[in-house]
Amino acid sequence: MSTGPYTTPPAANPHPRLRPGRYGIAAAIAAVVVLALIASSLLNYVYLDTIPGRTSLYGLLAVALIALGTYIGVRAFTRDRASRRKHLIRAGVLLGMGVLLWLLVVDVFVFTQAAGPQVAAICALACLPTTAFGLLVVRRMDRNEKEPWRLVLVAAAWGAIVATSLVIWGESLWEATAVRTLVPGPGLDASSAFSAGLLEELAKGLAVVLLFLVMRNDFDDVVDGIVYGAAVGLGFNFMESVTYMTNLYAIFSPEGFGWYAAGFQWYARQVLGLFFGHATYTAFIGAGLGVARQLSSTRQKAFAILSGFLIAIAGHFSWDAWLTFFPIDNTLFGLVEIHLRTLIMTGPFTFALIALLLFGIRYEAMALADQLRKEAGTGSGAILPEEVPILASPWQRFKQRLRAFQRGGFRAYFKVARLQSAQLDLAMERWHRERREIDEPLEAEDALRQKVIELRHWVVSP
Amino acid sequence: MLQYDQLQTLYRTLLVFATVAMVILAVGLVEFVYFEPPGQVTGVKARIVGVFEYDPATGQLIDGDRSTFSRNQEFAAEVSWAGLPDNLSVDARWYDTFGNIVGRVGPSTPAELGPQSIVPVTVPQGLHHNLPGHYTFVVERLKDGLPVEVLARRIVLVERS
Repeated sequence: MSTGPYTTPPAANPHPRLRPGRYGIAAAIAAVVVLALIASSLLNYVYLDTIPGRTSLYGLLAVALIALGTYIGVRAFTRDRASRRKHLIRAGVLLGMGVLLWLLVVDVFVFTQAAGPQVAAICALACLPTTAFGLLVVRRMDRNEKEPWRLVLVAAAWGAIVATSLVIWGESLWEATAVRTLVPGPGLDASSAFSAGLLEELAKGLAVVLLFLVMRNDFDDVVDGIVYGAAVGLGFNFMESVTYMTNLYAIFSPEGFGWYAAGFQWYARQVLGLFFGHATYTAFIGAGLGVARQLSSTRQKAFAILSGFLIAIAGHFSWDAWLTFFPIDNTLFGLVEIHLRTLIMTGPFTFALIALLLFGIRYEAMALADQLRKEAGTGSGAILPEEVPILASPWQRFKQRLRAFQRGGFRAYFKVARLQSAQLDLAMERWHRERREIDEPLEAEDALRQKVIELRHWVVSP
Repeated sequence: MLQYDQLQTLYRTLLVFATVAMVILAVGLVEFVYFEPPGQVTGVKARIVGVFEYDPATGQLIDGDRSTFSRNQEFAAEVSWAGLPDNLSVDARWYDTFGNIVGRVGPSTPAELGPQSIVPVTVPQGLHHNLPGHYTFVVERLKDGLPVEVLARRIVLVERS
């Protein structure tokens, strides 16, 4: 520990041991997830159809490789430049192996299904642009400090690969038991809806919880939580869309309208339901964690996290359970009814989430503006007084980058973008420190300040 | 102080939404209990003789009891209504893999349903064959027009190919 001038106070957070505590919880959750995946795969192999069971077992290795690769990759960015490259290469190799194995698994699985590999490939390709568009929009919602792509993509990958793998066994078991014991009809529908709401939201929510525990520096507030949660939901929605499209194609193709059935699913899930379904539900989990991130009372933290999960589960449940109460006519008016149904059933949840998001953005913007002013007042040179109104406004920041572009092209544009980003990082760090929500030493803040000053020299130099 | 209040506003808004969520889940639970009322087990069991290939032209069952059919095979369940108390209101239904009713007799008393022992699956309008997937056949006891107890159940698979 340094005994220099920065150690008074030594750190903003009086309980620096919180970080190892958080990592311990994260490690425990990860261990439970891996054990659940192993158990699920073994049970699938023993009790379900042989081929899907085998793919589930082989898929486990792919999931492990992707999990390890993303962990090493994400942590690489916190290392010094010398060892970062080495860790990134390791992560790249592991991720590449995981993706290849996963594709192999999908291939094997798809080859055994009636739809065939071409149909599955077309369905996946059809869902890629819409999901990518969804991720782009979700990331851009964070107007003040955009989340790193690597974490947004990790969140989406968890939703697509890990969360879907986690729920297979639980939902299969629940469904098999319910179908053999309950009276068919609305009671059984309600039971299935409870299963989907509980199990799927828990599986998706685990990703956001892990990000909250491990990547605290990139999980600042309610806005970040909504971004990560929505990204997980979009990933899950991608994989679910591909599964439903291929399945319905296989069911209806002998009747001559397989592509119509698959296309309808694509529209319902990838256009109409892109933001209204899974993305909304899991974003609520993120919102709960984001609010908890900034609360000081442990009781309030617990209530906030629980609230996020409850809203997500209720939203998901209401759609699955009460969908049949809004039947769609087999007429042209049915096209209008489909849109109205989504708007009426999921709309209130999405609009409530947008309200939280807008409030969160406004709250964050006000706090950052306050910190920018305070930092400019210190005279450190990291933020100049005349820069405060520019940095406080996304539109003014964009105009400043455009001016740089006119002067020096893309190179200048990105230099200014990096400087602005570092300045906002510094303001965010100050905000958390002032609120005593941070467990990094004060030296970390000074390192950020130094980085800004270096970037400023870099920007002004030709 | 202003910032603290704003965070508390976010927190309280979240709590309000969570309260609405609990109401939704409670309504779901009430719905489940309404359609799956406890204490409805009478101990009465119906007998499903079997599920057979079916010829709709003659109304006859073909060959033996089976659990798997191809899409172009029509099939039906045979129920023995004998032995069920005559004061019960009962029916029998087929559900396809999407939960749609694709075959039904009743509701009525077992005595009146006696001659209708064969319950075929009908191909949905606009389709040429049965849709693949698991089909569930149930003999149900009804109370006030709602099915409250399954007296017998059978699940068969319609294969894709």
